[in-house]
Amino acid sequence: MIWHIVTREFSDHLNSLRFALTTFILVALMVTNAVVHLQTHPDRVRHYSESVTTARNAVRAPTQLYLLLQKGPGDFRKRPSPLAFVADGGEALLPGRIWSGGSWSKTTSPGNSLKSVWWMGYPHLNLGAMSSLRPTATKIDWVFIITYLLSFLPLMFTFDALSGEREQGTLRLCLANPISRHALLLGKFIGALFAVLMPFYFAVLLNLAILSTDTWIQLDTAAWSRLGLIVLIASCYAGIFIAVGLIVSAATRESRLTLILLLLIWVTIVVFMPSTLGTLAAKWMSPVQTQHQFNKAKKAALAQAIDEPIKQMQEQFEKQLLSRYSLGALLKMPRAEAQAMVEAESAKVDDADLPMLAALVMKDVEVRERFNREHLAAQSAQVLQARAITRFSPAATVQYALESLAGTGFNRHLHFLDSVRLHIRQFREFIAERERADATSLHLIGIPQGMSEKPVPPQAIPIFEDTLTFRDTLNTAMGDILLLVLLLGGFLLGAFLVFVRSEV
Amino acid sequence: MLRTLIRQELLVHLMSARFFAAVVITVLLVVANTFVLLGAYEERLANYSQREAVIREKIADAPTYSVLRLAVARPPNPLSLFSAGLDTRFGSSVDISHTQVPSLLSVGAPLSSKNPYLNLFSHIDLVFLFQVVLSLLALLFAYDAIAGDSEAGTLRLVLSHSVGRGAVLFAKYLAAMVCLLLPLLMSLLLVLIQCTLSRSLQLGPAEFLRIGGIVVTTVVYLSGFYLIGLLISTMTRRAATSLILCMFVWVVLVLVYPNWSRFAIKPIGDTSARRTSTYQQIDQMREEEEREERRFLANSPLTGKPPWFNIDFSESWRRSGGHGADQLIGKLRNTADPLVPHLQQYHAFMSQVQTRLAEKEGLAKQQMVAETYLRRARWDERLMKLSPASLYTFATAAWAGTDVDGIVDYLRATRRYRRAFIT
Repeated sequence: MIWHIVTREFSDHLNSLRFALTTFILVALMVTNAVVHLQTHPDRVRHYSESVTTARNAVRAPTQLYLLLQKGPGDFRKRPSPLAFVADGGEALLPGRIWSGGSWSKTTSPGNSLKSVWWMGYPHLNLGAMSSLRPTATKIDWVFIITYLLSFLPLMFTFDALSGEREQGTLRLCLANPISRHALLLGKFIGALFAVLMPFYFAVLLNLAILSTDTWIQLDTAAWSRLGLIVLIASCYAGIFIAVGLIVSAATRESRLTLILLLLIWVTIVVFMPSTLGTLAAKWMSPVQTQHQFNKAKKAALAQAIDEPIKQMQEQFEKQLLSRYSLGALLKMPRAEAQAMVEAESAKVDDADLPMLAALVMKDVEVRERFNREHLAAQSAQVLQARAITRFSPAATVQYALESLAGTGFNRHLHFLDSVRLHIRQFREFIAERERADATSLHLIGIPQGMSEKPVPPQAIPIFEDTLTFRDTLNTAMGDILLLVLLLGGFLLGAFLVFVRSEV
Repeated sequence: MLRTLIRQELLVHLMSARFFAAVVITVLLVVANTFVLLGAYEERLANYSQREAVIREKIADAPTYSVLRLAVARPPNPLSLFSAGLDTRFGSSVDISHTQVPSLLSVGAPLSSKNPYLNLFSHIDLVFLFQVVLSLLALLFAYDAIAGDSEAGTLRLVLSHSVGRGAVLFAKYLAAMVCLLLPLLMSLLLVLIQCTLSRSLQLGPAEFLRIGGIVVTTVVYLSGFYLIGLLISTMTRRAATSLILCMFVWVVLVLVYPNWSRFAIKPIGDTSARRTSTYQQIDQMREEEEREERRFLANSPLTGKPPWFNIDFSESWRRSGGHGADQLIGKLRNTADPLVPHLQQYHAFMSQVQTRLAEKEGLAKQQMVAETYLRRARWDERLMKLSPASLYTFATAAWAGTDVDGIVDYLRATRRYRRAFIT
């Protein structure tokens, strides 16, 4: 009996105007998505591989351990995801590159200066770029198509499913037959789901067919299984909105009222909540330092840890100089002679000072990286918290799940930062190991005099490879997927309850 | 007769549950959103006043005007509450110095909220809410205006009276517009109350005039959508068909087309060639400047490297904070070199040359920006304006002064300020 209802509902939908329009819109958007991706993706991949090669050569250029420490592990680039067409994830805003934070050179005594070594730069967001002059618009990726259209279209198919039939009186007729209410509801649910998903699957297939014509886009098995999961998530999401439509339709008498209620719910859940709820939630969270406060605090800490000792060293040197030569004698000396004398004096640096100098350099790196890490962690925690709150909206949940699976977006950004930090640690361990292997050196990492001068074989230097495994993506997406399945079950149950209790 | 028609239509709308639901949801969304937007505005205002304080400090500390690099910060626009436009996303401070003429390229970072990562959540302004919610309502009022009446048979009944078809349409239009204005004005009133309560946001008479402009634009926009709905309603036989058509027209015009046109159409091709040629031009100008400098130095007794040549200045060493051998000696000696007047001559000459160079460079960059970035932005706008929803967005941005022209005006003002400042 239930299949009878499903086939009747489905064939009803199949012949309707809304089915034709749905197919048209979904296909048009999916084709656009594929075509634009074909145009932009090869450039991105080419750019990435070129810059990775340059970065690799730059890392392998130095042959001495100190130079290696100073040049650092080089440029880190985020690998463009092969599934970028699924979710853009604000990639234009997030930093795609991490490089050296800068360098300094401070004079400790005339002729002698202390040079900084590589530290991980602060990954700034790309705010206020010239491209922001162009009007903003949402990228037409799968996330857009799914979150907006696979929520709007189900409502178009369900708003009159129960209230419309009740108005016409056919519902009473239908229930006069030996058929249970839940069978009728399930039949309507499955019929509408098929009617929405069929054009969607067709559009997805078309999209993938267009994409597979290009040799630049190579999708491996992991990518295909991700795509399979993504399509499943989309189906689940469409199901949620069909259930919502049935709930409201069962609870109202008039199909016009059903529609307006559904549309208002749609605007609130899909348009309003994902964007505003996050910012709203952030208002009550513990505040983070502003960039200005952060810079100030970092500067103060650095001044205390680095600049103060260096200043003391300078003053000490001046004192020593003036204790050996009187000021009058210095002034009487010819200019060039005085200069040579001061330099000769400062060249007699105590070897006892070297450990302190090396420690200063490494301390500088440590302080800077710690401050950056803590500030970023505070900001990220706030974003993650805000995202947790926006998950009230299934649209946001789907967006995050899709971003995780596609390997873009904020979770990907955090993963990238983590793997960069891991690589930096490995790189430093590598240097320390080479250093230990050389018995002749002073083992003072941070200054050229204290480090091994043995040449380093370029092949041994660790190279950063940005990878994202299927397991990583699944781990971050699993929570969202579960949430969606639960929502679907909950709303379906709600629809049953409302329909069973409603008057016909 | 017309009055009776209008009255009847109005009552039908006003008494309906859908009208009530629409008003409640619109007002709730607007109030919640205003709360968020006001918070964001306050944060940007705090950021702005902090920048201002830094600039003031700089002015007070600067020893001479020629070394001063002044930043001109742009305050957040209070009307960005209605239409955020470029106000929140484009840079909002410009460095001014006698060696640089501001162009769009030299605009710094935008005023940020406390946590810039929250920019990952897109912000919705009030105009966007009106654009989405009220246009949907307009179509929902319109779809069964004719088709529904003719299905129910009441249209025939009404027309059997001595009333023209035009009058019926007009009555429906007027009643629906009144019903749409009601949630609009109510939410506007609540927004203004929230603004006055927040205190940080001050609206003057000019702003109220602009808000009035925004309201008028909104009314025009809504009547546009209502008339589209009415057209569909008259052309279809059944209200159900009319409704589905209306919804899909709405999806295409509001949701799909603006994003699609920006995503799929690349209005002007690759502009990187134009950019590189400008930078080459600028390099040539700089070479020219260096040649002039060499020519001047050939006739001057100064030796060594600029800016101080081989002259010791105990004062300047101390400021540069160095502790090299040269510096230490300079610190101990205090020379009054006979070459000092020549040095002054050199700097006077060079500042003239540099100012001239800056003017030329600024002009070249300005032209380049106008031909590449600005042109592309304007073409994007033009294409998006094919949808009434985007047309409405850009029109209100123009009222609020948050569109591209607002930024261009701001830059023009900074250039004027620079000229006044260096002369």
